[in-house]
Amino acid sequence: MVRKLLVKSFIGIVLIILYLPIVWMIVFSFTDTPSFSGWNGFSFQNYIDLFTGQGSNSARIQEAIVNTLFVGVFTSLLSTILGTLGAIGLHAFRSKRIKAAYSTVNQIPMINSEIVTAIALALVFNLFASTLQISGGTWAETAFKLILAHTSYCAPYVLLNVLPRLQKADNKVYEAALDLGCTPAKAMFKVVLPDIMPGIVIGGLLAFTLSIDDFVITKVNVTSFETLSTLLYGLKSGKHPLPPDIRALFSIIFFIVFVLIMIIYSPKKKSEQKA
Amino acid sequence: MFKKLLATPYALFMALFVILPIIMIAVYAFTDAEGALDLIGNFQDLAKEPALGKVIKNSIIAGLSTAVICLLIGYPIAYYLTKAEFNRTGVLIGLFLVPMWVNFLLRMMSTKAVFTVLGIPMGMGTVIFGLCYEFLPFMIMPIYTTIQKIDKSFIEGANDLGATPTKAFWKITVPLSLPGVLSGLTMVIIPSITTFAVTEILSNGKLMLLGDFIYSLKAYNLNMASAISLALMILLGISMIITNRFNKDSEKGGGLW
Repeated sequence: MVRKLLVKSFIGIVLIILYLPIVWMIVFSFTDTPSFSGWNGFSFQNYIDLFTGQGSNSARIQEAIVNTLFVGVFTSLLSTILGTLGAIGLHAFRSKRIKAAYSTVNQIPMINSEIVTAIALALVFNLFASTLQISGGTWAETAFKLILAHTSYCAPYVLLNVLPRLQKADNKVYEAALDLGCTPAKAMFKVVLPDIMPGIVIGGLLAFTLSIDDFVITKVNVTSFETLSTLLYGLKSGKHPLPPDIRALFSIIFFIVFVLIMIIYSPKKKSEQKA
Repeated sequence: MFKKLLATPYALFMALFVILPIIMIAVYAFTDAEGALDLIGNFQDLAKEPALGKVIKNSIIAGLSTAVICLLIGYPIAYYLTKAEFNRTGVLIGLFLVPMWVNFLLRMMSTKAVFTVLGIPMGMGTVIFGLCYEFLPFMIMPIYTTIQKIDKSFIEGANDLGATPTKAFWKITVPLSLPGVLSGLTMVIIPSITTFAVTEILSNGKLMLLGDFIYSLKAYNLNMASAISLALMILLGISMIITNRFNKDSEKGGGLW
């Protein structure tokens, strides 16, 4: 079958091009040349430097990791709580108009251009800062600002992951729990939450991944707060933009993201992939 | 009743951080630096901006080339991935999605490093390559979903009635997958011209697209940045309405994912 071979090589070539820069970076994370050429012997030195803090960018890397994880974890928590509650509430509404209004607002952060979302959020934060008489520039204020900003576009993804679970769950069990004397809150924890837990977990993971990956919204809304993305951006104009310890760091991150994505996609059937 | 109340925090949050920001964009777009109402001033200033003409021209070239290339590469891939002989387990489609989750700055900087090693000069060509790299999955996904939903019996019917596989493809698969193509185009063109930093990295700062332009405006003129953002949102809104109208005919064919 010539056709089959042609198709396979076409798909193969596109995949090779997609992965080439990433693989090239991972390969060169095992040697200490300044650029992506001129192999200088295989070693784990970059990784050792990364963990012992001996690399040329160690201080910045540590700061960026702490900041990124802090914002990512709290964004994920807040998005998961808001998105799950929102999904349960939305599911209870019968009115088509309310449902349509919700889904429109929900779609805005997903389809709007990132730079526009970022500028719009910056305007709102300016407004809050001037009404509340705060500078908005301290570490805690910036972190809080970023958590709110990231949550505004991560929570809709959580909602969209929880909603299908609610639609599949049997509402009669919840009503039976109420009939048998449960308070609504208790029935919620004992009946509804276990039913939709897979959607909540996947939504939370997704929010975390989206948050740690974000660049545009972060860059526009911070002045001196380093995350992994702004760290990368800061290195872009150097002569060799991806120094050895950065390559080691992002090779590790690649593997973590790869595993997370496999978890997010694997337990689901084709019909209900992400949103 | 209890359940409905649970939606309140979410509704409040979205009102504050999704709806209010959009209102603020409109407010800034129609006021001057002192906050006085000025319906056309910012747009006039934009028209006078010497860089804007070139930015728009570059954005159109880059956006359209990216869309066409992504369609030419993405359509066949989406089509063949729906066939069991190439993608039995669904793992392949996952492989096309993973790069999307790797920080795009990292991908762009690695691409640049690879280009530098290969001796390829930075310019419009490398920018378009970078944009295609970033947005190809956004073309593949909606087309893949629409083609997957096409009733196989249509094609079997066409074959039984004597159509060659090629003819059945052009007469059935292509027309029925158009909603997916349309959402793919929307999800490639507008994000690619408003992307920020890709152009800067892959053209050594020589080229600017709309996204980079808005970012540079943000530093000194929030009103002009808002005016251009508002225009972009309206453009996006119109293209969404068109896409949704097409999709309604085919029972929501090409979803986001």
